Amino acid sequence: MLKKINLSKYLAYLFLIVLCLIWIIPVLFGITTSFRTEAEVVSSGFRLLPESWNFENYKAILENTSTAPILRWLFNSLFIAITHTFLVVVVISLTGYGYTRINFKGRDTLFFTLLGISFFPGVVNLIPSYKIIDALGWVNTAWAMIIPGLAGMGNIFLVRQFLKGIPTELDESARVDGASDFRIYYSVILPLIKPVLIVCGLFSFIGSWNDFLWPVIVYTDVDKMPVTAGLLLLQDIYGNYRMIGQLVGSAILAIIPTLVLFLFAQKHFLQSINLNSGLKG
Amino acid sequence: MKKRSFTPYFFIGPHLILFIVFILVPTIYGIYASFTKWNLLGDPVWVGFENYKTILFDSTSTFNAQFMNGMKNTLIFVGLSVPILIVIPLMVAVALEHKKVKMKGLMQSILYIPGLISISAAALIWLLIFNKQLGITGNVFGSQIPWPANQPYAWIIIIVITVWGGVGGNMIIYRASINGVAKDLYEAAEMDGAGSIRKFTSITLPSIRFPLIYTFVMTTGGAFNVFGQPLMMTKGGPQQSTHVLMMYIRQLAFGHGESIAGMASAMAVLLGLVILVISAMQYYVMNRNAS
Repeated sequence: MLKKINLSKYLAYLFLIVLCLIWIIPVLFGITTSFRTEAEVVSSGFRLLPESWNFENYKAILENTSTAPILRWLFNSLFIAITHTFLVVVVISLTGYGYTRINFKGRDTLFFTLLGISFFPGVVNLIPSYKIIDALGWVNTAWAMIIPGLAGMGNIFLVRQFLKGIPTELDESARVDGASDFRIYYSVILPLIKPVLIVCGLFSFIGSWNDFLWPVIVYTDVDKMPVTAGLLLLQDIYGNYRMIGQLVGSAILAIIPTLVLFLFAQKHFLQSINLNSGLKG
Repeated sequence: MKKRSFTPYFFIGPHLILFIVFILVPTIYGIYASFTKWNLLGDPVWVGFENYKTILFDSTSTFNAQFMNGMKNTLIFVGLSVPILIVIPLMVAVALEHKKVKMKGLMQSILYIPGLISISAAALIWLLIFNKQLGITGNVFGSQIPWPANQPYAWIIIIVITVWGGVGGNMIIYRASINGVAKDLYEAAEMDGAGSIRKFTSITLPSIRFPLIYTFVMTTGGAFNVFGQPLMMTKGGPQQSTHVLMMYIRQLAFGHGESIAGMASAMAVLLGLVILVISAMQYYVMNRNAS
């Protein structure tokens, strides 16, 4: 019996460690390659660490401000993701309040109708969405990526579930004291639903930062695009394999913001599932 | 009293407008456009089922060839990636829940992080790994073949990068679910002399059937929308053998030359229908078998 338990422990370790190595090595190899000289990239075989650490690749990447303005792209992505996240939090908290704390005719029917419609596969509305963005004059502007995502139902569903779990006594007593709905929303509810707003906000930030298909469609102006769409262009610009250090260096710069966010907010990412009561059968 | 009746609009109104403009109208318009000839610029011209007939039955048409090839490749991707994206996260979750395993947090983070990396950044890093001259496949495994340009390697690298980025999300869901299974069930089973495998199949799997159905349906739906991996890794090659449907849709509607948005919309509707039917079937079959 004792022996059997140990065997399963070692099997678990073996599996996890091999997997973790496969998972981490590409990132480490990418980072070290971005510090190799062009000569070393071309001459040497596979070696995890570079012969010497040099910043030539990063210097070259940052100096290219015409065909691949990566700092500009990073700034665009940051502006888009931060603005989008802020607006997501505003919209889902207001809407979640509306669908749980305000009584009006057909409220729940409306909510579930919208939810049902939103399950329809998004591929169908891709082409008309472009047309709408075009009609609004938003092609090649940050709004093309900031606004349409606010229409989604997923986060509102989570906020609504969360709010349903909070007793109404607090807002009732505030109402008796003469507080308006906006006052109750702002001073009573908003602080209470902070955990769910943090999680929705984090995932909105990551989703917005990493979105690929949509920016590839709506941005043709190199100066206006976010970094995900920009990296697609890089294969043509740094396509020669001698410049692979610059190619990989650009990718490393693009992943730093989300990794930093993860390091600071790890527990919110990894415990997010606790909020999703719909998943617990 | 009058003020009170305005209140609902203040709270749900903004989102309702966004929903109508960016989900409801484009969805309806997308279905309408699939019955038209449309170049995205002018007004769509109604052609009835013409686009669907061409796509599905006219074997002399390039649209038919593109749709069939794109759908075939999308199905290959779904068939290869989804089972791995369920099984590996499940194995990881079980291994991480092992009582004696240490450093769970660190290992979980390592496996989770690739999910936070955009597909374009991930592809650039992995293309280095698969580079013939510089990468691991060439130098460590001695492969002399350019992987993105040869089958079956082109599919292998697409699946590898997908699994690399996709394991984390499902892993978290399974871990939380397994954690929620009552411990006394396992203790009782141990006293009855049940081994690890028996405990897994008789207790763990049935207890987490709802998260399993949920992740299966969501992972499959996501896989049908595959676009970034083949675009970045293989550009659809070799000989269009990894050219998925989403790439054709984008190419027809937004590519060089005049837009063929009506035809692309019809392909999008067909893809949407396939996703709907498959998720409904998955839900129905798994729910029935589970209860």
